[in-house]
Amino acid sequence: MGGRIPTRGSRRGQRARGQRARGQRAGGGGQRARGAEGPGAEVAGPAPRGTGAGRARRSRGGGTQEGLGGGELGVEEPATAAVARAMSARNLGTELDLSWISKIQVNQPAVLRRAEQIQARRMVKKEWQAAWLLKAVTFIDLTTLSGDDTSSNVQRLCYKAKYPIREDLLKALNVHDKGLTTAAVCVYPARVCDAVKALKAAGSTIPVASVATGFPAGQTHLKTRLEEIRLAVEDGATEIDVVINRTLVLTGQWEALYDEIRQFRKACGEAHLKTILATGELGSLTNVYKASMIAMMAGSDFIKTSTGKETVNATFPVAIVMLRAIRDFFWKTGNKIGFKPAGGIRSAKDSLAWLSLIKEELGDEWLTPELFRIGASTLLSDIERQIYHHVTGRYAAYHDLPMS
Amino acid sequence: MRIGVIGLILSPTFSFLEMMWRICPALAVGCTVVVLVPPGSPTPLLLAQLAGELGSFPGILNVINGPASLGPILASQPGVQKVTFCGAVEEGRVLRRTLAGQGAELGLALGAESLLVLTEAADVDSAVEGVVDAAWSDRSAGGLRLLIQESVWDETMRRLQERMARLRGGRGLDGAVDMGARGAAAHDLAQRYVREAQSQGAQVFQAGDVPSVSPFFPPTLVSDLPPASPCTQAEVPWPVVVASPFRTAKEALAVANGTPRGGSASVWSERLGQALELGYGLRVGTVWINAHGLRHPEVPTGGCKESGSSWHGGPDGLYEYLRPSGTPARLPSLSENLNYDTFGLAVPLTLPSGPEIGPSPAAPYGLFIGGRFQAPGARSSRCIQDSKGNLQAYVAEGGAKDIRGAVEAAHQAAPGWVSQPPGARASLLWALASALERRESAFTSALERHGVELKTAKVEVELSARRLRAWGARAQAQGHLLQVAELRGPVLRLREPLGVLAIVCPDEWPLLAFASLLAAALAHGNAVVLVPSGVCPIPALEVCQDMATLLPAGLVNVVTGDRDHLTRCLALHQDVQALWYFGSAQGSQFVEWASAGNLKPVWVNRGRPRAWDQEAQGAGPELGLRAARTKALWLPMGD
Repeated sequence: MGGRIPTRGSRRGQRARGQRARGQRAGGGGQRARGAEGPGAEVAGPAPRGTGAGRARRSRGGGTQEGLGGGELGVEEPATAAVARAMSARNLGTELDLSWISKIQVNQPAVLRRAEQIQARRMVKKEWQAAWLLKAVTFIDLTTLSGDDTSSNVQRLCYKAKYPIREDLLKALNVHDKGLTTAAVCVYPARVCDAVKALKAAGSTIPVASVATGFPAGQTHLKTRLEEIRLAVEDGATEIDVVINRTLVLTGQWEALYDEIRQFRKACGEAHLKTILATGELGSLTNVYKASMIAMMAGSDFIKTSTGKETVNATFPVAIVMLRAIRDFFWKTGNKIGFKPAGGIRSAKDSLAWLSLIKEELGDEWLTPELFRIGASTLLSDIERQIYHHVTGRYAAYHDLPMS
Repeated sequence: MRIGVIGLILSPTFSFLEMMWRICPALAVGCTVVVLVPPGSPTPLLLAQLAGELGSFPGILNVINGPASLGPILASQPGVQKVTFCGAVEEGRVLRRTLAGQGAELGLALGAESLLVLTEAADVDSAVEGVVDAAWSDRSAGGLRLLIQESVWDETMRRLQERMARLRGGRGLDGAVDMGARGAAAHDLAQRYVREAQSQGAQVFQAGDVPSVSPFFPPTLVSDLPPASPCTQAEVPWPVVVASPFRTAKEALAVANGTPRGGSASVWSERLGQALELGYGLRVGTVWINAHGLRHPEVPTGGCKESGSSWHGGPDGLYEYLRPSGTPARLPSLSENLNYDTFGLAVPLTLPSGPEIGPSPAAPYGLFIGGRFQAPGARSSRCIQDSKGNLQAYVAEGGAKDIRGAVEAAHQAAPGWVSQPPGARASLLWALASALERRESAFTSALERHGVELKTAKVEVELSARRLRAWGARAQAQGHLLQVAELRGPVLRLREPLGVLAIVCPDEWPLLAFASLLAAALAHGNAVVLVPSGVCPIPALEVCQDMATLLPAGLVNVVTGDRDHLTRCLALHQDVQALWYFGSAQGSQFVEWASAGNLKPVWVNRGRPRAWDQEAQGAGPELGLRAARTKALWLPMGD
């Protein structure tokens, strides 16, 4: 178990402490360290670009509150570029190994308690909150999945994805030149063409995600489900959100589930595979863990909580179980699998709790659009409202912010 | 009936919340409180100020900031009826000795170490969160002893270390910290412990984002501590976790019960049978199944063994501040010149005072140990005179070796008696009552020879049989279910036997007091060592003849002899779990002093006679409360 004798924390931690000491000297004064650094302290982006700006900001933000959190760090690199790079690194999956799921135990009351704590113990305020919220924007899969979607509202959605926050607000925060966009837009297969066209017209490389495989129930023939994937990919979707067959989970047919997802994977070709577990319909947290593990073994690049159409959607307890499965899979194979909660995430405050959950359970490496997405439609406007308030000190009227 | 003025002494390691847990029930039942808090803790003062501003009752809550040396002074104030001390075990011991014979009753809540048993059938990730709750958060009481089943050792250690790295420490006003600091003293304690553990060969792992200056101390995981090293025995300070492996659930129980502490523990296992087996088997005050650190005002929280026996929460928390109505307030019965070193040290020479005429009237009674009469180790007897001064009988003169034998026999019989269903215990007590009634005339005449009137003697025998029956009936239902508002699932309030209970019976009511005390103890599943009335031990020994045939061997042991000497032996015996003493004021004081050794709960009468024929004093709920200890077993549910 390798106990390191009296070393303290990782090298990263030591560096952070060093910075803290500097910050304190610089800040002086009796300012209390309220909300100091918060969960985003070391949310360093994958590349150390832009740290100059970060530093400058830090000294200006000053006080004892150094380590300004991941706001500008997270958007140093345009989200789209990150995603494009992620395209090449896909999960190839592993052989089916049922011993990985046979012994697993999930204790629901204990997970519920953990879920309560995580929401209560990580509060970020003021500029740290703003930074976190901007970072949250970069994780959003801006979604519209309605029966009445047409090309006009998909077009509007795509424009919003490209310009998620009002330009003047970004300027006030000094992040207008970072290319802040949402991570992707997500539509029904029949609207993929519209979305691709609209994004091209806006001059954006934001990927288009499409749901598929009989979304949301998954109760169609395997053949048509596979065909759906192929058609969506043909239309230009680079990310496919598939739903799993809940029947197979509830009846314990793990091999069959593995085979189906394997076929989805193949049908996706170069596209990204996000597997929706529809956790609200899996019956127990133990099943959630098992389904997560099977989906990852079968080659999913992301596992996603829910379709947004079930009665219970993305909840923290379910997320905790899925994140633990992701960590176990990483420890077993070295593959980092992404996580996407979807459905029911509407407020900016919720999104902050999700970010800190990821940071706590998986670590900062997962806080990138390649490995974390939030599926949401109304969340973005609430975040924008909060940013508006942070910048202006006023609460926004409905007409102050553009529609999405 | 409420006790009166309560003194509450808090050591620096106990939090404001701990204080509130104890103040509230005391005020609720109508007691008034004086709190002694360590210097430099302003919050309790603010609270007292608020209480004072309530107007109509300005003095109900009083707070003194002062050093620990004020504790005994507070406790010895006339009028203070009960003192509750929260702090370290050694301080508690000292206080117990200082307060022997003083007016106030003493309740101790000592140590803060907790225990976590992680089996291979557990949800390991959630159990790791349990460890965080137990040791690396601001809600945790103290350090943690972590027992991990060998088959999941590696996995658990990896997850623990991973989790530790994500903990954040810092000032409490920062909205995003898991743990703060608890003062320089706590830091130094932890530092010392970790250094010592290291020097004794342990692996130490520290991680987490915690300021590296005192008083902040990083979360610490100690493993590979040699089993016999001093650190294994010492109490684990906050925020340190000491992990050690075990092979089977049985071994986990043996290891867990092998410490002198008995505060709280949690069991992590998804197998219901195993979890309950461990939950029932652990000798602690609180057990959580698949959770750690849950608390609620409706659930009693306390400890056993050296963690002291002060409770808060639930009915037990209220009993702390109540006494049976009709009993007088406690008065000090301090005798300054009692020499603890020599009290009852040797058996005084008991040569027959009068001329011994002819052979003894009957063969001398032996000591009733291990289910049969045995000759005493010292091979000597003492004579029992009847009320006219004539020699009535010889009884064996028991000594230290006999006490040792009796306690051993009781320990051997105890597990069997505990595992008996309550119904079986009840029927044995009823059988004993019937036997008593069958031989009523023999008992009556034995009592008569000691000057008891015939009518009173008859009543005494009859009442004794009735007490046995009554306690037999009460043996049926022990423990009950508590419903806690925020928790899904039940909390069981169990009443568990103390173990080996030593009882020194009063001189008065030789049969009735003996039967009342014995019945209460047996009904609650204890094994017993009794010292019968010194003046008139014959009826008790007569009962032994019936017990020899009825009860399992060793369950009840009766040792006759010099009461002071036997009391000394029992009070100083480390493996006697509780002691009830009814005798002289000096004896009571000695018992209180000596109980500091293993901090066994004691019940003494301070030389005051009790009305054993009255229902309230002879068979009241007080006996039932003292004859068993509470355990709260939390069973959260959900899937």
